[in-house]
Amino acid sequence: MSFMKLKAISILLTVINFINNNNKKSGDQGPWWQSLHRTMLRGILGKTFRLVGYTIQYACIAHCAFEYVGGVVMCSGPSMEPTIQNSDIVCAENLSRHFYGIQRGDIVIAKSPSDPKSNICKRVIGLEGDKILTSRPSDFFKSHNYVPTGHVWLEGDNLQNSTDSRYYGPVPYGLIRGRIFFKKSCS
Amino acid sequence: MAQSQGWVTRYFKAFCKGFFVAVPVAVTFLDRVACVARVEGASMQPSLNPGGSQSSDVVLLNHWKVRKFEVQRGDIVSLVSPKNPEQKIIKRVIALEGDIVKTIGHKNRYVKVPRGHIWVEGDHHGHSFDSNSFGPVSLGLLHAHATHILWPPERWQKLESVLPPERLPVQSEKESLHGSP
Repeated sequence: MSFMKLKAISILLTVINFINNNNKKSGDQGPWWQSLHRTMLRGILGKTFRLVGYTIQYACIAHCAFEYVGGVVMCSGPSMEPTIQNSDIVCAENLSRHFYGIQRGDIVIAKSPSDPKSNICKRVIGLEGDKILTSRPSDFFKSHNYVPTGHVWLEGDNLQNSTDSRYYGPVPYGLIRGRIFFKKSCS
Repeated sequence: MAQSQGWVTRYFKAFCKGFFVAVPVAVTFLDRVACVARVEGASMQPSLNPGGSQSSDVVLLNHWKVRKFEVQRGDIVSLVSPKNPEQKIIKRVIALEGDIVKTIGHKNRYVKVPRGHIWVEGDHHGHSFDSNSFGPVSLGLLHAHATHILWPPERWQKLESVLPPERLPVQSEKESLHGSP
């Protein structure tokens, strides 16, 4: 989840909250210049501060939720077919990553090793120390390698159409963002 | 009875309100803007920890500067260790993607840094577990940019992004803003 999305969600929630608060009626009696002064200064300034405050609050709660608990992600690409189709909605949880509970066979979301701003969605085939078949499908001679410490070996389910650890090597554990536990097909 | 219940409920509500406002804001600030950390080890001597184990430097880590993964050669950065994801290491950026570096103690003499990776080294060569041991690191592991030393007070300073001239890359694709032939 990028920071821009967090800001958008928090602004939306703040506006909804703001509209709700404004609908409550406030009865103010007194001379017209007094009530005008009160409306202008306390009204606009106070409301602006409250708006900013609520935005920051909701943005921080959203950040904590996405970072430490989990979130909803849309996957694109054919590399995990037939398990996950193009434009499926999946739910990812981040607790396993923080407690180092990622197992072999889990589908994880990780930052791409060659582009830190984009994410990849693959299955964990091997953990550190495992012996992995690393040759590309087109090679004639099979080669084996051990996954180094602190790394995992990721492969897509659609082996013919997936750029994964067979091409860019083992992926450091620190790049893993979360583990997918639920899928809702949208196609 | 009703009065004491009212007092407890009000106190509980105030506590919850404060908790749910203060904790997420503080956590988000420490994760996204800046935090403080103590440096252990001798791999960055003499820039950091010149006194060895007697006094550890405390540095200010700036997350906001690396939110778009933009680093320059010579920056001191903290990153998640590729060999141990529970640990963070602090090193200097020597080369960016596309550069060719002359390594010290790596199995290849010259290494071209792949796309999306950087080459980091500690200033104390030979006593540093850095890219000369584990190769180029992915930018996704970047954690923060160390900008200032905060403690001990006699070592208050801004950390400069200087690249020692003998560690300049042999060939660089990208020109950086400070210092490069």
